[in-house]
Formats: sequence, C-alpha cells, structure tokens
Amino acid sequence: MSEWPAEAVDYVQAIADTKLLLSHRYAEWMLTGPSLEDDIGGASTAQDEAGHVRQLFRLLEQQGRDGEWLEGDRAPEEFRNAATLDATRDSWVEHLVAVATADRAAWYMLDSIASDDFRGLARKIGEDEYFHLEYHDARLATLADDRPEELQGAFEDALPKALAFVGPESYDADSDPVVRSGFADRSAADLRDALVAHYARLFDGTSVSLDGVDRDGPTQDEWDEARRRVGDGAIDQSVVDALTGVRNEEFAAE
Amino acid sequence: MSANMTPVDAGEPGFDRSEGNAAFEEELWALLDEIPDPHIPVSLVEMGMIYDVRDEDGDVTVEMTFPCMGCPAYDFIQDDVRSMLRPVPGVESVTIDIVWDPVWSKDRLTPEVREKMREAGISL
Repeated sequence: MSEWPAEAVDYVQAIADTKLLLSHRYAEWMLTGPSLEDDIGGASTAQDEAGHVRQLFRLLEQQGRDGEWLEGDRAPEEFRNAATLDATRDSWVEHLVAVATADRAAWYMLDSIASDDFRGLARKIGEDEYFHLEYHDARLATLADDRPEELQGAFEDALPKALAFVGPESYDADSDPVVRSGFADRSAADLRDALVAHYARLFDGTSVSLDGVDRDGPTQDEWDEARRRVGDGAIDQSVVDALTGVRNEEFAAE
Repeated sequence: MSANMTPVDAGEPGFDRSEGNAAFEEELWALLDEIPDPHIPVSLVEMGMIYDVRDEDGDVTVEMTFPCMGCPAYDFIQDDVRSMLRPVPGVESVTIDIVWDPVWSKDRLTPEVREKMREAGISL
C-alpha cells in the first residue's frame, strides 16, 4: 500500500465516518419506516455501510490511524461525518433526505479516488451503492408527488450540508488538495455540480423546487477542512456510546 | 467438498491456484475446502472466496474475499480459516489477507457448485 498524503487520509476519514453514521441512522429507523419494505431496505443498507466502514478503517489503520480511536474511542467532535447526520430526524421524510444526500455525496467522493489502493474495493462498494442510491431516488420520486412541501423543506436543510461535506465551491481542479496530490481525479467543485444536477433532474417535472437551496456556500474561510463542514456541530455523546456498544459491553466477544 | 480441484485462470469459475503449487499448499487448499460457508451449503473454496494460499517456511498467507462486504460472519469465517490451518503440522502462522481485486461475482461458481446450490433451493 502506498503512503497517502495527509489530506487524503482526512478525506477517507470523512467518508468512513459518514458511512459509520449512515449505518447508525439507517439502523435507528429500520423499525419505524412507513412500510416493511422501507424497514428491510434500511436494515440491509445499514449492514452494507457497516461493511464499508470496516474496510475503510482497515486502510486508515494502515495509514497510521489508531484502531481504537477509529472504532469510537474519541470525542463526538472528532467524528468527521457529514453534518446532515449529526442528529436523528423528526420525520421519516427528513431522515430519507438526510441519508440520501449524505450517502450520494460520500459515494461521489469515494468514486473520485484514483489511488490504486482502492482498486476493487471502490468497485465493490459501488455495487452496494448502486442499490442504495436507486432506492433513495425511487422513494424521493414518490415523495415528490405525495409530500412535495415537506420534501422541499428537507432538501433546503440537508443539501447545503451535503455540499459543504463535499467541499467548498472554490476547490476546483487546480486548487482542491486531493486532486492536486493525485489522490482523486475530480474536484469538490465537480462533485458539487454533479450532486446538484442529479437532484435537479430527479425533481424535474415535479412541484419540488431546489431554488431555495443554498448552492454557493460555504466559503473556504468558514469551512473546517478536517471535518468538512461549517461550525462546531457534532453527534451526541449518546451516539458515540451506541456506536461503541457501551451499554452492551458485557456481551462483547473478546 | 469440491469435486473439481483443477487450477484455472483468475476470473474463471473454480480456484485461482497458482501453477506449481507445492503439495503442502494443496493440502491446505483441501482443508479450506472443508470449511462451510455459514450461509450457503457449499465450502469457502467452492464459493470462490479463496484466491490464493501461499506457504513460506510455515508462514501461511490465505488471500481471500467476501461476496458481501457487510458479511455478518466476516470475523468468524476468518476464525474458521485460522482454526483449520493453524493445527496443521508444518504451519507456524496463518495470515489472512482480505482482498477486493478481482471483485467476487457469481462467475466464480463452477457448474457443479451452481447445481449444488440449485438443489438446495438457492436461485442464481
């Protein structure tokens, strides 16, 4: 395995932590979705994401990250997940939009990695992501017909956070550090455009408008490069406890 | 247990054993072929999950993959591999190298294994 530049390690850390939180949020809702199919889909997706995390953490350990720290022996603000996943959502619509935008953003970032260390691994993750993203889009399309106002409000909250996670608009092919280092072949600006264009296409012909979504932020100055967000928000300590199995410690296999 | 132990090229159904495998490595392959997949009534070898087995003076490396990255049996399948090979006389250590290139697909299943799975009610 090659030695990655520091910005690449942070990049993969953010993808891995987002997948870790995706797994947690899918699991939270897998008994309370609107249909049995949604619950089963959420459970399967949670399992896939946990598997992706396992492999990405393995690579991060090989790059020098501490295994126990990766597994959750860290403060909430040390998790680099997309801000859309900081808190559980009040409604299933908000949940679906949060996970759909974060999952797609994380996949675009992973798919942009050009390092040989991801050969096969990224393709395998992509096989899972194909079904995740198809499922999200199918459900978002039905919600665009059934609950357009609620869906639009959820997008106005979640999509700017997903765009911030991808990176600032000013990170183009000449300035994005992961592209400049050769670790990735598409810049944050390119991925942001792809993300917005995807949802514009998805909602074309529906009453859901993305005109109210802030597509410009954040500025490079306000953006936290390590945590790929604006501000100091974080998951709750109870989420860290759940991820590390504190309450079920006695059942852990040694 | 597998009925077909003929080495074939990577990407083809069967077992990607390199040419010139030592008899000892063949013995290890045969043992791995006794470990059942916990989800499907065929062995890990028949599932095409074992990519290579290499022995260097008793230090054995098993290169393997998983059909499902989120496999809930990820750890205990590896425990099974270690438990099967570690007691073999001449084996000093067992290292498992999880790889994803090439990505596993159903193309790795031989016609015999496919038939076995069909008989067990598993559609492909």
